[in-house]
Amino acid sequence: MDQHSTPLGDRPHAPSVRVWVPEERTLIGTAALLAFLLVWELTAALRLIDPLFISSPLRVLAAGREMFSTGEIWKDIEASGSAFLWGYLLSIAVGVPAGLAMGSWRRINLLLGPVVDTLNAVPRITLLPLIVIWAGIGIWSKIAVVFLGAVIPITIYTLAGARTSEARFTRIALSFGASRLKIFTSLVLPGVVPFVFTGLKYGAGRALLGVVVGELYASTAGLGHMIAQAGNALETDVVFLGVLLFTITGLAIVGILDAIERWFDRWRPEPGGQR
Amino acid sequence: MSAAPQEHSFVHRHEALIYGLVLLIAILVIWEGLARGWWAELAGPLIGPAAAKLRIRPIFISAPTYIAMQAWQMYVVTGEIWKHIAVSTAELVLGLGLAISFGIPFGLVTGWYRRLGYAAQPFLAALNATPQVALLPLMVIWLGTGFAIRIAIIFLLAVLPIAIAAQAAVKTTDGRLVRLANSFGASQRHLFATIILPASIPFLIGGLRLAIGRAMIGIVVGELYGSALGIGLMINRAGSMFETDTVFVGVLTIVAAGLTLTDLLRRIERRLEHWRPPGDGAAT
Repeated sequence: MDQHSTPLGDRPHAPSVRVWVPEERTLIGTAALLAFLLVWELTAALRLIDPLFISSPLRVLAAGREMFSTGEIWKDIEASGSAFLWGYLLSIAVGVPAGLAMGSWRRINLLLGPVVDTLNAVPRITLLPLIVIWAGIGIWSKIAVVFLGAVIPITIYTLAGARTSEARFTRIALSFGASRLKIFTSLVLPGVVPFVFTGLKYGAGRALLGVVVGELYASTAGLGHMIAQAGNALETDVVFLGVLLFTITGLAIVGILDAIERWFDRWRPEPGGQR
Repeated sequence: MSAAPQEHSFVHRHEALIYGLVLLIAILVIWEGLARGWWAELAGPLIGPAAAKLRIRPIFISAPTYIAMQAWQMYVVTGEIWKHIAVSTAELVLGLGLAISFGIPFGLVTGWYRRLGYAAQPFLAALNATPQVALLPLMVIWLGTGFAIRIAIIFLLAVLPIAIAAQAAVKTTDGRLVRLANSFGASQRHLFATIILPASIPFLIGGLRLAIGRAMIGIVVGELYGSALGIGLMINRAGSMFETDTVFVGVLTIVAAGLTLTDLLRRIERRLEHWRPPGDGAAT
Protein backbone atom coordinates (compact mmCIF):
# COMPACT_ATOMS: atom_id res chain seq x y z
CA MET A 1 0.00 0.00 0.00
CA ASP A 2 2.59 2.50 1.10
CA GLN A 3 5.05 2.08 -1.70
CA HIS A 4 2.32 2.03 -4.34
CA SER A 5 -0.04 4.76 -3.32
CA THR A 6 2.31 7.75 -3.52
CA PRO A 7 5.21 7.07 -5.82
CA LEU A 8 5.78 10.80 -6.01
CA GLY A 9 6.60 10.69 -2.33
CA ASP A 10 10.02 9.59 -3.54
CA ARG A 11 10.86 13.12 -4.51
CA PRO A 12 13.99 14.43 -2.78
CA HIS A 13 12.43 15.78 0.41
CA ALA A 14 10.33 12.72 1.09
CA PRO A 15 12.53 10.12 2.87
CA SER A 16 13.19 12.12 6.02
CA VAL A 17 9.50 12.85 6.40
CA ARG A 18 8.22 9.39 5.62
CA VAL A 19 8.28 8.06 9.19
CA TRP A 20 5.46 10.28 10.36
CA VAL A 21 3.47 10.41 7.14
CA PRO A 22 0.25 8.92 8.57
CA GLU A 23 0.14 11.45 11.39
CA GLU A 24 0.90 14.28 9.00
CA ARG A 25 -2.03 13.25 6.86
CA THR A 26 -4.55 13.33 9.72
CA LEU A 27 -2.93 16.42 11.22
CA ILE A 28 -3.20 18.49 8.05
CA GLY A 29 -6.65 17.13 7.24
CA THR A 30 -8.04 17.93 10.67
CA ALA A 31 -6.38 21.34 10.71
CA ALA A 32 -7.89 22.21 7.32
CA LEU A 33 -11.33 21.10 8.47
CA LEU A 34 -11.11 23.08 11.72
CA ALA A 35 -9.82 26.14 9.86
CA PHE A 36 -12.76 25.93 7.49
CA LEU A 37 -15.27 25.68 10.35
CA LEU A 38 -13.59 28.57 12.16
CA VAL A 39 -13.66 30.83 9.11
CA TRP A 40 -17.30 29.91 8.54
CA GLU A 41 -18.23 30.65 12.16
CA LEU A 42 -16.33 33.95 12.14
CA THR A 43 -17.82 35.03 8.83
CA ALA A 44 -21.25 34.57 10.34
CA ALA A 45 -20.38 35.95 13.79
CA LEU A 46 -18.82 39.12 12.36
CA ARG A 47 -21.77 39.40 9.97
CA LEU A 48 -19.51 39.59 6.92
CA ILE A 49 -22.32 37.58 5.37
CA ASP A 50 -25.74 37.47 6.97
CA PRO A 51 -26.05 34.14 8.85
CA LEU A 52 -29.54 33.92 7.43
CA PHE A 53 -27.86 32.85 4.18
CA ILE A 54 -24.92 30.77 5.34
CA SER A 55 -25.88 29.76 8.89
CA SER A 56 -22.83 28.79 10.98
CA PRO A 57 -21.42 25.62 12.54
CA LEU A 58 -22.70 26.51 16.03
CA ARG A 59 -26.14 27.35 14.70
CA VAL A 60 -26.33 24.06 12.85
CA LEU A 61 -25.31 22.29 16.04
CA ALA A 62 -27.98 24.14 18.00
CA ALA A 63 -30.60 23.29 15.39
CA GLY A 64 -29.55 19.66 15.60
CA ARG A 65 -29.77 19.62 19.39
CA GLU A 66 -33.22 21.15 19.28
CA MET A 67 -34.64 18.91 16.59
CA PHE A 68 -33.34 15.75 18.20
CA SER A 69 -34.51 16.74 21.68
CA THR A 70 -38.03 17.55 20.52
CA GLY A 71 -37.91 14.39 18.48
CA GLU A 72 -39.59 15.96 15.46
CA ILE A 73 -36.76 14.89 13.19
CA TRP A 74 -37.20 11.18 13.87
CA LYS A 75 -40.23 10.74 11.65
CA ASP A 76 -38.29 12.25 8.73
CA ILE A 77 -35.30 10.03 9.46
CA GLU A 78 -37.62 7.05 9.64
CA ALA A 79 -39.31 7.92 6.33
CA SER A 80 -36.02 8.43 4.49
CA GLY A 81 -34.36 5.51 6.22
CA SER A 82 -37.04 2.99 5.37
CA ALA A 83 -37.21 4.11 1.71
CA PHE A 84 -33.44 3.84 1.47
CA LEU A 85 -33.21 0.52 3.28
CA TRP A 86 -35.98 -1.26 1.38
CA GLY A 87 -34.87 0.03 -2.00
CA TYR A 88 -31.22 -0.71 -1.34
CA LEU A 89 -31.81 -4.20 0.07
CA LEU A 90 -34.08 -5.01 -2.85
CA SER A 91 -31.43 -3.85 -5.30
CA ILE A 92 -28.84 -6.07 -3.60
CA ALA A 93 -31.24 -9.02 -3.59
CA VAL A 94 -31.80 -8.58 -7.34
CA GLY A 95 -28.47 -7.16 -8.52
CA VAL A 96 -26.02 -9.65 -7.01
CA PRO A 97 -27.84 -12.83 -8.18
CA ALA A 98 -28.47 -11.24 -11.60
CA GLY A 99 -24.80 -10.33 -11.98
CA LEU A 100 -23.68 -13.80 -10.89
CA ALA A 101 -26.16 -15.48 -13.23
CA MET A 102 -25.08 -13.29 -16.14
CA GLY A 103 -21.45 -14.08 -15.40
CA SER A 104 -22.06 -17.81 -15.13
CA TRP A 105 -24.43 -18.50 -18.02
CA ARG A 106 -23.63 -16.96 -21.35
CA ARG A 107 -27.21 -17.11 -22.62
CA ILE A 108 -28.58 -15.23 -19.63
CA ASN A 109 -25.93 -12.63 -20.24
CA LEU A 110 -26.93 -12.37 -23.90
CA LEU A 111 -30.54 -11.86 -22.87
CA LEU A 112 -30.14 -9.51 -19.92
CA GLY A 113 -26.96 -7.73 -21.04
CA PRO A 114 -28.67 -5.35 -23.49
CA VAL A 115 -31.35 -4.53 -20.92
CA VAL A 116 -28.78 -3.70 -18.25
CA ASP A 117 -26.68 -1.66 -20.68
CA THR A 118 -29.71 0.26 -21.88
CA LEU A 119 -30.86 1.04 -18.35
CA ASN A 120 -27.31 2.03 -17.50
CA ALA A 121 -27.40 4.66 -20.23
CA VAL A 122 -30.60 6.15 -18.84
CA PRO A 123 -30.17 8.55 -15.93
CA ARG A 124 -32.82 6.76 -13.86
CA ILE A 125 -33.69 9.96 -12.04
CA THR A 126 -35.36 11.17 -15.24
CA LEU A 127 -37.86 8.34 -14.85
CA LEU A 128 -39.12 9.88 -11.61
CA PRO A 129 -42.14 11.63 -13.18
CA LEU A 130 -43.20 8.29 -14.67
CA ILE A 131 -42.66 6.47 -11.40
CA VAL A 132 -44.77 9.05 -9.62
CA ILE A 133 -47.55 8.48 -12.15
CA TRP A 134 -47.35 4.74 -11.48
CA ALA A 135 -46.74 4.66 -7.76
CA GLY A 136 -47.93 7.97 -6.38
CA ILE A 137 -45.88 10.18 -4.09
CA GLY A 138 -45.69 7.80 -1.15
CA ILE A 139 -42.88 5.54 -0.07
CA TRP A 140 -43.28 3.19 -3.05
CA SER A 141 -42.08 5.68 -5.63
CA LYS A 142 -39.07 6.43 -3.45
CA ILE A 143 -38.28 2.75 -3.05
CA ALA A 144 -38.57 2.36 -6.82
CA VAL A 145 -36.18 5.24 -7.52
CA VAL A 146 -33.68 3.97 -4.95
CA PHE A 147 -33.92 0.47 -6.38
CA LEU A 148 -33.49 1.58 -9.99
CA GLY A 149 -30.54 3.77 -9.07
CA ALA A 150 -28.67 1.13 -7.10
CA VAL A 151 -29.47 -2.12 -8.92
CA ILE A 152 -27.61 -1.28 -12.14
CA PRO A 153 -24.14 -0.56 -10.67
CA ILE A 154 -24.47 -3.55 -8.34
CA THR A 155 -25.36 -5.84 -11.26
CA ILE A 156 -22.61 -4.48 -13.50
CA TYR A 157 -19.85 -4.78 -10.91
CA THR A 158 -20.94 -8.26 -9.82
CA LEU A 159 -20.97 -9.32 -13.47
CA ALA A 160 -17.49 -7.88 -13.99
CA GLY A 161 -16.27 -9.80 -10.94
CA ALA A 162 -17.83 -13.08 -12.00
CA ARG A 163 -16.27 -12.69 -15.45
CA THR A 164 -12.76 -12.01 -14.23
CA SER A 165 -12.55 -15.02 -11.94
CA GLU A 166 -9.17 -16.38 -12.80
CA ALA A 167 -9.36 -18.73 -15.77
CA ARG A 168 -6.19 -20.48 -14.58
CA PHE A 169 -7.79 -21.49 -11.29
CA THR A 170 -10.90 -22.65 -13.08
CA ARG A 171 -8.83 -24.87 -15.40
CA ILE A 172 -6.92 -26.35 -12.48
CA ALA A 173 -10.17 -27.02 -10.62
CA LEU A 174 -11.70 -28.61 -13.71
CA SER A 175 -8.72 -30.87 -14.25
CA PHE A 176 -9.05 -32.05 -10.67
CA GLY A 177 -12.65 -32.92 -11.45
CA ALA A 178 -14.42 -30.13 -9.59
CA SER A 179 -18.11 -29.74 -10.29
CA ARG A 180 -19.57 -26.48 -11.62
CA LEU A 181 -21.15 -25.88 -8.23
CA LYS A 182 -17.85 -26.43 -6.46
CA ILE A 183 -16.07 -24.04 -8.82
CA PHE A 184 -18.78 -21.48 -8.26
CA THR A 185 -18.74 -21.62 -4.46
CA SER A 186 -15.00 -21.88 -3.92
CA LEU A 187 -13.57 -19.89 -6.85
CA VAL A 188 -16.09 -17.50 -8.35
CA LEU A 189 -17.79 -16.32 -5.16
CA PRO A 190 -14.64 -15.42 -3.21
CA GLY A 191 -13.15 -13.71 -6.26
CA VAL A 192 -16.27 -11.68 -6.82
CA VAL A 193 -16.37 -10.16 -3.32
CA PRO A 194 -14.25 -7.04 -3.94
CA PHE A 195 -16.23 -6.26 -7.10
CA VAL A 196 -19.54 -6.69 -5.34
CA PHE A 197 -18.47 -4.29 -2.63
CA THR A 198 -17.33 -1.70 -5.16
CA GLY A 199 -20.76 -2.03 -6.74
CA LEU A 200 -22.44 -1.78 -3.34
CA LYS A 201 -20.58 1.46 -2.59
CA TYR A 202 -21.52 3.00 -5.94
CA GLY A 203 -25.03 1.72 -5.45
CA ALA A 204 -25.27 3.29 -2.00
CA GLY A 205 -24.39 6.68 -3.47
CA ARG A 206 -27.03 6.25 -6.17
CA ALA A 207 -29.54 5.10 -3.58
CA LEU A 208 -28.98 8.17 -1.41
CA LEU A 209 -29.32 10.37 -4.47
CA GLY A 210 -32.59 8.62 -5.22
CA VAL A 211 -33.90 9.31 -1.71
CA VAL A 212 -33.01 13.00 -1.93
CA VAL A 213 -34.40 13.61 -5.39
CA GLY A 214 -37.50 11.55 -4.68
CA GLU A 215 -38.20 13.62 -1.60
CA LEU A 216 -37.35 16.96 -3.19
CA TYR A 217 -39.52 16.21 -6.18
CA ALA A 218 -42.65 14.84 -4.61
CA SER A 219 -43.00 13.72 -1.05
CA THR A 220 -44.69 14.54 2.21
CA ALA A 221 -42.05 13.25 4.61
CA GLY A 222 -38.37 12.48 4.86
CA LEU A 223 -35.10 14.34 5.25
CA GLY A 224 -35.17 15.59 1.66
CA HIS A 225 -38.64 16.93 2.29
CA MET A 226 -37.40 18.55 5.50
CA ILE A 227 -34.52 20.19 3.62
CA ALA A 228 -36.84 21.49 0.92
CA GLN A 229 -39.30 22.89 3.46
CA ALA A 230 -36.53 24.51 5.49
CA GLY A 231 -35.11 26.01 2.31
CA ASN A 232 -38.46 27.56 1.46
CA ALA A 233 -38.63 29.03 4.97
CA LEU A 234 -35.04 30.32 4.78
CA GLU A 235 -34.07 28.11 7.73
CA THR A 236 -30.52 27.52 6.59
CA ASP A 237 -29.55 25.87 9.91
CA VAL A 238 -32.04 23.10 9.28
CA VAL A 239 -30.99 22.77 5.64
CA PHE A 240 -27.36 22.32 6.68
CA LEU A 241 -28.41 19.89 9.39
CA GLY A 242 -30.23 17.79 6.82
CA VAL A 243 -27.30 17.86 4.40
CA LEU A 244 -24.97 16.93 7.27
CA LEU A 245 -27.14 13.96 8.17
CA PHE A 246 -26.94 12.78 4.56
CA THR A 247 -23.16 13.22 4.61
CA ILE A 248 -22.86 11.23 7.85
CA THR A 249 -25.10 8.52 6.41
CA GLY A 250 -23.01 8.31 3.27
CA LEU A 251 -19.74 8.08 5.22
CA ALA A 252 -21.23 5.55 7.62
CA ILE A 253 -22.43 3.29 4.82
CA VAL A 254 -19.02 3.29 3.15
CA GLY A 255 -17.39 2.59 6.54
CA ILE A 256 -19.72 -0.30 7.29
CA LEU A 257 -19.28 -1.77 3.80
CA ASP A 258 -15.49 -1.51 4.15
CA ALA A 259 -15.64 -3.32 7.49
CA ILE A 260 -17.82 -6.10 6.08
CA GLU A 261 -15.57 -6.40 3.04
CA ARG A 262 -12.49 -6.75 5.24
CA TRP A 263 -14.24 -9.50 7.16
CA PHE A 264 -15.12 -11.35 3.95
CA ASP A 265 -11.64 -10.84 2.57
CA ARG A 266 -9.69 -11.70 5.70
CA TRP A 267 -8.42 -14.92 4.11
CA ARG A 268 -6.66 -12.95 1.35
CA PRO A 269 -2.88 -13.18 1.92
CA GLU A 270 -1.82 -9.57 1.41
CA PRO A 271 -4.00 -6.74 0.12
CA GLY A 272 -3.32 -6.07 -3.52
CA GLY A 273 -0.40 -8.51 -3.44
CA GLN A 274 -1.71 -11.15 -5.82
CA ARG A 275 -1.25 -9.34 -9.08
CA MET B 1 -24.67 -25.91 -21.84
CA SER B 2 -21.88 -23.57 -22.84
CA ALA B 3 -19.50 -26.11 -24.27
CA ALA B 4 -17.35 -23.67 -26.22
CA PRO B 5 -17.84 -20.22 -24.73
CA GLN B 6 -14.45 -18.98 -25.91
CA GLU B 7 -15.24 -19.60 -29.55
CA HIS B 8 -15.08 -16.39 -31.55
CA SER B 9 -16.75 -17.79 -34.61
CA PHE B 10 -19.18 -16.15 -36.99
CA VAL B 11 -22.18 -17.80 -35.35
CA HIS B 12 -21.10 -16.84 -31.87
CA ARG B 13 -20.84 -13.19 -32.73
CA HIS B 14 -24.20 -13.13 -34.44
CA GLU B 15 -25.81 -14.95 -31.54
CA ALA B 16 -25.42 -11.90 -29.32
CA LEU B 17 -27.08 -9.74 -31.97
CA ILE B 18 -29.92 -12.22 -32.46
CA TYR B 19 -30.63 -12.48 -28.73
CA GLY B 20 -30.54 -8.70 -28.39
CA LEU B 21 -32.84 -8.09 -31.34
CA VAL B 22 -35.31 -10.78 -30.32
CA LEU B 23 -35.53 -9.38 -26.82
CA LEU B 24 -35.86 -5.81 -28.02
CA ILE B 25 -38.66 -6.67 -30.43
CA ALA B 26 -40.39 -8.81 -27.80
CA ILE B 27 -40.34 -5.97 -25.27
CA LEU B 28 -41.64 -3.45 -27.83
CA VAL B 29 -44.45 -5.75 -28.98
CA ILE B 30 -45.52 -6.63 -25.43
CA TRP B 31 -45.48 -2.93 -24.50
CA GLU B 32 -47.44 -1.88 -27.57
CA GLY B 33 -49.92 -4.70 -26.97
CA LEU B 34 -50.51 -3.72 -23.37
CA ALA B 35 -51.31 -0.15 -24.34
CA ARG B 36 -53.49 -1.04 -27.33
CA GLY B 37 -55.27 -3.91 -25.61
CA TRP B 38 -54.14 -6.64 -28.01
CA TRP B 39 -53.47 -9.04 -25.16
CA ALA B 40 -56.79 -8.30 -23.52
CA GLU B 41 -58.61 -9.13 -26.77
CA LEU B 42 -56.55 -12.26 -27.35
CA ALA B 43 -57.00 -13.56 -23.83
CA GLY B 44 -60.62 -12.44 -23.50
CA PRO B 45 -62.23 -15.64 -24.76
CA LEU B 46 -59.90 -17.73 -22.60
CA ILE B 47 -59.96 -16.08 -19.20
CA GLY B 48 -63.01 -13.87 -19.40
CA PRO B 49 -63.28 -10.50 -17.66
CA ALA B 50 -59.91 -10.90 -15.93
CA ALA B 51 -58.34 -10.19 -19.31
CA ALA B 52 -59.19 -6.52 -18.89
CA LYS B 53 -56.17 -6.29 -16.62
CA LEU B 54 -53.98 -6.86 -19.67
CA ARG B 55 -55.07 -3.52 -21.06
CA ILE B 56 -53.22 -0.61 -19.50
CA ARG B 57 -54.32 2.93 -20.26
CA PRO B 58 -51.73 4.70 -22.44
CA ILE B 59 -51.51 7.64 -20.06
CA PHE B 60 -49.73 5.25 -17.70
CA ILE B 61 -47.29 3.49 -19.98
CA SER B 62 -47.63 5.17 -23.37
CA ALA B 63 -46.59 2.88 -26.23
CA PRO B 64 -43.64 2.69 -28.62
CA THR B 65 -45.69 3.98 -31.55
CA TYR B 66 -47.19 6.82 -29.52
CA ILE B 67 -43.71 7.84 -28.40
CA ALA B 68 -42.44 7.72 -31.96
CA MET B 69 -45.36 9.85 -33.19
CA GLN B 70 -44.90 12.32 -30.38
CA ALA B 71 -41.17 12.53 -31.12
CA TRP B 72 -41.98 13.20 -34.80
CA GLN B 73 -44.40 15.92 -33.71
CA MET B 74 -42.00 17.60 -31.34
CA TYR B 75 -38.85 17.34 -33.44
CA VAL B 76 -40.16 17.86 -36.95
CA VAL B 77 -43.73 19.13 -37.13
CA THR B 78 -43.83 21.77 -34.42
CA GLY B 79 -40.16 21.76 -33.54
CA GLU B 80 -41.08 22.82 -30.02
CA ILE B 81 -38.47 20.58 -28.42
CA TRP B 82 -35.56 22.44 -29.97
CA LYS B 83 -35.91 25.46 -27.73
CA HIS B 84 -35.81 23.16 -24.69
CA ILE B 85 -32.77 21.41 -26.10
CA ALA B 86 -31.04 24.72 -26.76
CA VAL B 87 -31.48 25.89 -23.17
CA SER B 88 -30.38 22.59 -21.66
CA THR B 89 -27.39 22.44 -23.97
CA ALA B 90 -26.30 25.89 -22.85
CA GLU B 91 -26.59 24.80 -19.21
CA LEU B 92 -24.65 21.64 -19.91
CA VAL B 93 -21.84 23.41 -21.78
CA LEU B 94 -21.42 26.04 -19.08
CA GLY B 95 -21.78 23.69 -16.10
CA LEU B 96 -19.57 20.97 -17.51
CA GLY B 97 -17.09 23.53 -18.83
CA LEU B 98 -16.78 25.11 -15.40
CA ALA B 99 -16.43 21.69 -13.78
CA ILE B 100 -13.64 20.76 -16.19
CA SER B 101 -11.77 24.05 -15.92
CA PHE B 102 -11.92 23.94 -12.13
CA GLY B 103 -11.80 20.20 -11.44
CA ILE B 104 -8.77 19.28 -13.54
CA PRO B 105 -6.41 21.97 -12.16
CA PHE B 106 -7.69 21.35 -8.64
CA GLY B 107 -7.16 17.61 -8.90
CA LEU B 108 -3.73 17.96 -10.51
CA VAL B 109 -2.52 20.44 -7.90
CA THR B 110 -3.84 18.50 -4.90
CA GLY B 111 -2.39 15.33 -6.38
CA TRP B 112 1.01 16.92 -6.99
CA TYR B 113 1.49 18.76 -3.69
CA ARG B 114 1.12 16.09 -1.08
CA ARG B 115 0.25 18.35 1.84
CA LEU B 116 -2.33 20.25 -0.15
CA GLY B 117 -3.84 16.90 -0.97
CA TYR B 118 -4.07 16.04 2.74
CA ALA B 119 -5.79 19.35 3.38
CA ALA B 120 -8.31 18.78 0.58
CA GLN B 121 -9.01 15.17 1.53
CA PRO B 122 -11.68 15.65 4.25
CA PHE B 123 -13.65 18.02 2.02
CA LEU B 124 -13.51 15.74 -1.00
CA ALA B 125 -14.50 12.73 1.11
CA ALA B 126 -17.39 14.53 2.76
CA LEU B 127 -18.70 16.05 -0.47
CA ASN B 128 -18.33 12.72 -2.22
CA ALA B 129 -20.35 10.92 0.47
CA THR B 130 -23.11 13.54 0.31
CA PRO B 131 -25.79 13.31 -2.35
CA GLN B 132 -24.92 16.75 -3.69
CA VAL B 133 -28.47 17.31 -4.83
CA ALA B 134 -29.36 17.78 -1.14
CA LEU B 135 -27.64 21.17 -1.43
CA LEU B 136 -30.22 22.28 -3.97
CA PRO B 137 -32.53 24.13 -1.53
CA LEU B 138 -29.50 25.95 -0.16
CA MET B 139 -28.43 26.96 -3.62
CA VAL B 140 -31.90 28.26 -4.31
CA ILE B 141 -31.43 30.60 -1.35
CA TRP B 142 -28.07 31.78 -2.69
CA LEU B 143 -28.70 31.85 -6.40
CA GLY B 144 -32.45 32.06 -6.87
CA THR B 145 -34.29 29.83 -9.29
CA GLY B 146 -32.88 31.21 -12.52
CA PHE B 147 -30.31 29.99 -14.98
CA ALA B 148 -27.45 30.21 -12.44
CA ILE B 149 -28.71 27.45 -10.20
CA ARG B 150 -28.96 25.02 -13.07
CA ILE B 151 -25.34 25.66 -14.02
CA ALA B 152 -24.33 25.43 -10.36
CA ILE B 153 -25.95 22.05 -9.80
CA ILE B 154 -24.43 20.61 -12.97
CA PHE B 155 -21.05 21.98 -11.89
CA LEU B 156 -21.42 20.54 -8.39
CA LEU B 157 -22.41 17.10 -9.65
CA ALA B 158 -19.75 16.93 -12.35
CA VAL B 159 -16.76 18.50 -10.63
CA LEU B 160 -16.07 15.75 -8.07
CA PRO B 161 -15.46 12.80 -10.37
CA ILE B 162 -13.24 15.02 -12.52
CA ALA B 163 -11.20 16.33 -9.58
CA ILE B 164 -10.86 12.90 -7.98
CA ALA B 165 -9.78 11.35 -11.29
CA ALA B 166 -7.18 14.06 -11.88
CA GLN B 167 -5.85 13.61 -8.36
CA ALA B 168 -5.62 9.85 -8.76
CA ALA B 169 -3.86 10.31 -12.09
CA VAL B 170 -1.03 12.37 -10.61
CA LYS B 171 -0.69 10.13 -7.58
CA THR B 172 -0.35 6.97 -9.62
CA THR B 173 2.06 8.32 -12.23
CA ASP B 174 4.95 5.93 -12.61
CA GLY B 175 7.47 7.06 -10.00
CA ARG B 176 10.38 5.70 -12.06
CA LEU B 177 9.61 8.09 -14.89
CA VAL B 178 9.46 11.02 -12.49
CA ARG B 179 12.77 10.04 -10.88
CA LEU B 180 14.37 9.60 -14.27
CA ALA B 181 13.23 13.05 -15.41
CA ASN B 182 14.38 14.55 -12.12
CA SER B 183 17.83 13.08 -12.44
CA PHE B 184 18.12 14.58 -15.89
CA GLY B 185 17.33 17.94 -14.37
CA ALA B 186 13.83 18.41 -15.78
CA SER B 187 12.02 21.46 -14.50
CA GLN B 188 8.72 20.99 -12.70
CA ARG B 189 6.89 22.49 -15.64
CA HIS B 190 8.63 20.23 -18.09
CA LEU B 191 7.95 17.22 -15.90
CA PHE B 192 4.33 18.17 -15.72
CA ALA B 193 3.83 18.71 -19.43
CA THR B 194 5.72 15.65 -20.69
CA ILE B 195 5.08 13.00 -18.02
CA ILE B 196 2.25 13.83 -15.64
CA LEU B 197 -0.21 15.17 -18.18
CA PRO B 198 0.12 12.39 -20.77
CA ALA B 199 -0.09 9.76 -18.03
CA SER B 200 -3.22 11.43 -16.69
CA ILE B 201 -5.26 11.25 -19.88
CA PRO B 202 -6.89 7.83 -19.30
CA PHE B 203 -7.87 8.84 -15.77
CA LEU B 204 -9.23 12.19 -16.92
CA ILE B 205 -11.28 10.49 -19.62
CA GLY B 206 -12.65 8.07 -17.04
CA GLY B 207 -13.55 10.96 -14.74
CA LEU B 208 -15.18 12.84 -17.59
CA ARG B 209 -17.25 9.81 -18.49
CA LEU B 210 -18.66 9.73 -14.96
CA ALA B 211 -19.10 13.48 -15.04
CA ILE B 212 -21.21 13.34 -18.21
CA GLY B 213 -23.60 10.91 -16.58
CA ARG B 214 -23.91 13.11 -13.52
CA ALA B 215 -24.33 16.24 -15.61
CA MET B 216 -27.33 14.59 -17.25
CA ILE B 217 -28.81 14.09 -13.78
CA GLY B 218 -27.97 17.74 -13.07
CA ILE B 219 -29.97 18.90 -16.08
CA VAL B 220 -33.09 17.17 -14.84
CA VAL B 221 -32.67 18.00 -11.17
CA GLY B 222 -31.62 21.61 -11.73
CA GLU B 223 -34.74 22.20 -13.76
CA LEU B 224 -37.00 21.10 -10.90
CA TYR B 225 -37.04 24.78 -10.05
CA GLY B 226 -37.76 27.72 -12.26
CA SER B 227 -40.26 27.99 -15.02
CA ALA B 228 -38.46 28.80 -18.24
CA LEU B 229 -37.33 26.18 -20.72
CA GLY B 230 -35.30 23.02 -20.68
CA ILE B 231 -35.55 19.29 -21.29
CA GLY B 232 -35.72 18.43 -17.60
CA LEU B 233 -38.44 20.99 -17.10
CA MET B 234 -40.32 19.60 -20.08
CA ILE B 235 -40.13 16.10 -18.56
CA ASN B 236 -41.31 17.29 -15.15
CA ARG B 237 -44.16 19.33 -16.56
CA ALA B 238 -45.30 16.56 -18.89
CA GLY B 239 -45.18 14.12 -15.99
CA SER B 240 -47.41 16.27 -13.82
CA MET B 241 -49.91 16.51 -16.70
CA PHE B 242 -49.83 12.75 -17.38
CA GLU B 243 -48.37 13.30 -20.86
CA THR B 244 -46.44 10.07 -20.73
CA ASP B 245 -45.46 10.18 -24.41
CA THR B 246 -43.71 13.50 -23.91
CA VAL B 247 -41.94 12.20 -20.79
CA PHE B 248 -40.53 9.32 -22.78
CA VAL B 249 -39.46 11.59 -25.64
CA GLY B 250 -37.61 13.75 -23.10
CA VAL B 251 -35.95 10.81 -21.37
CA LEU B 252 -34.87 9.35 -24.71
CA THR B 253 -33.48 12.73 -25.76
CA ILE B 254 -31.34 12.85 -22.63
CA VAL B 255 -30.20 9.27 -23.16
CA ALA B 256 -29.25 10.10 -26.74
CA ALA B 257 -27.34 13.18 -25.60
CA GLY B 258 -25.47 11.18 -22.96
CA LEU B 259 -24.55 8.45 -25.44
CA THR B 260 -23.43 11.01 -28.03
CA LEU B 261 -21.19 12.78 -25.53
CA THR B 262 -19.71 9.49 -24.30
CA ASP B 263 -19.01 8.49 -27.90
CA LEU B 264 -17.39 11.87 -28.55
CA LEU B 265 -15.21 11.29 -25.50
CA ARG B 266 -14.19 7.90 -26.85
CA ARG B 267 -13.12 9.51 -30.11
CA ILE B 268 -11.11 12.15 -28.28
CA GLU B 269 -9.48 9.44 -26.20
CA ARG B 270 -8.50 7.50 -29.30
CA ARG B 271 -7.05 10.65 -30.82
CA LEU B 272 -5.07 11.49 -27.69
CA GLU B 273 -3.98 7.96 -26.95
CA HIS B 274 -2.84 6.77 -30.34
CA TRP B 275 0.83 7.21 -29.36
CA ARG B 276 0.54 4.76 -26.49
CA PRO B 277 1.95 1.34 -27.40
CA PRO B 278 -0.61 -1.43 -26.90
CA GLY B 279 -0.46 -3.12 -23.51
CA ASP B 280 1.52 -0.30 -21.94
CA GLY B 281 1.08 -0.54 -18.20
CA ALA B 282 1.41 3.18 -17.48
CA ALA B 283 -2.29 3.59 -16.82
CA THR B 284 -2.80 0.65 -14.53
